[in-house]
Amino acid sequence: MKIGNVEVKVSILSIGVFVFFTFFLIVASVYSPDVRSNLIWMIPVLFMLLVIPVALNYMSRSQYAELEPEYERQAKTVRIKLINENMIGKIVRIEGVVERVHFQFLNRPQYSVADRSGAISVKMFTSPDENIKVNDLVVVLGQVIRRYIATGDPVVNCVSIRKKSADSTTDE
Amino acid sequence: MTRIKTTIQSDRKKQRYLELAIPIFSFGVTLIGVLVWMMGFEINFQFFAFGCVISSCILAYLAWIRPKKDIVALSTPIYAFIFFVVPTDYVSGLTLQILYAVSITLLLLRLKYRFGSAHTEVSLRKELASPLKIYIEKASGSFAGISPDTAHDAAVVFVQFAHGEYREAARRAVAAVIGQVDDVGEVATLVRAFSIVKEHSLLIDKSLPRPLTYEVFRPEEYGLLAKPQLLALDDDHEFFIALDNALLLLFSVAWTNSEADRPHLLACQAFVLKLLNA
Repeated sequence: MKIGNVEVKVSILSIGVFVFFTFFLIVASVYSPDVRSNLIWMIPVLFMLLVIPVALNYMSRSQYAELEPEYERQAKTVRIKLINENMIGKIVRIEGVVERVHFQFLNRPQYSVADRSGAISVKMFTSPDENIKVNDLVVVLGQVIRRYIATGDPVVNCVSIRKKSADSTTDE
Repeated sequence: MTRIKTTIQSDRKKQRYLELAIPIFSFGVTLIGVLVWMMGFEINFQFFAFGCVISSCILAYLAWIRPKKDIVALSTPIYAFIFFVVPTDYVSGLTLQILYAVSITLLLLRLKYRFGSAHTEVSLRKELASPLKIYIEKASGSFAGISPDTAHDAAVVFVQFAHGEYREAARRAVAAVIGQVDDVGEVATLVRAFSIVKEHSLLIDKSLPRPLTYEVFRPEEYGLLAKPQLLALDDDHEFFIALDNALLLLFSVAWTNSEADRPHLLACQAFVLKLLNA
């Protein structure tokens, strides 16, 4: 679904919650007259279960889209091995292969990206523009943060993750 | 070396006691509660949950001091509070406490086997880790005559590089190289290390790829390097091994000849170990 220039993606979890409560409401309204009398506000609330995740996703994705050019300007291309806890707050660009993907169903994907020097976790707090899968060659743009805000190993808070095309690989 | 071993051994001993304290406190205090009740003193059984609460705090501490954090173990004190803040009767309180004690003992085992040893984190900020110390001891003899100013330059370049301040690292490396008039022997190797770090810093700062020609150490200098340059698999590998060796050399020179910079160097030790072990 596209709102303005922003491609909005609803997570499977949000759709699952919506479907579950829709089914629950239908069953309840069949058996209970009390529920039927309250459908006038229950149906809008039910739709809010979809509208709120859509709105949140739109806001986060539009904000990430605004940040991307600035990150693109500031980022330094580094090998993964060079990322360390002293670089917290630095904006980096890394290139590597996706080894693992987690939490895509929550629209908060977490990737493990590796290059020849090592591997690092890449966290994204919204859905990416492209569907990233294991073994994809990607370019990640993001900020070095700690895994648990104040503590933990350095990870990349990703603003953009894009597949590196075969053309650009051969160009180099 | 003996001091490091003693520190690590004492840290390990302390952790072993803390690990033992978790099941002892959690099961022990509940057992005391059962005995007290069997003797006829019907004290509120909720009070005997303090063993579980203390054990949770110890578990959270053990999780905190590990380099790799376990969020589940870290949050156990919050769960202990939630579970035990509500008054309960004898049977439900006993059941809850036993289940909780079993759970945190399992979490302790999970922490031990899945989240590694803690002593590295404890000692990293205090002392050099063994592999690094061995390399520095090996290189220190050759670089003992380096002036404190040059060693300070090496420390600054290294720390700025570790912090991702690549332009500043390159600038400082250029200044350090200009200051060197003697370009033979170990000084030449050090100058080359500065040049390699400068070259890489400028490339990273401008996000440029590896150039066709680049600076590397000479074969006669290989004896002073931490990682064998000869093992390079291809040009890329050779290029990056040269950077690792140059950074490790600067760290070693700075550590040996500029004691005032050691706290800053220790703060970057995890990064140096990564360079050394990769």
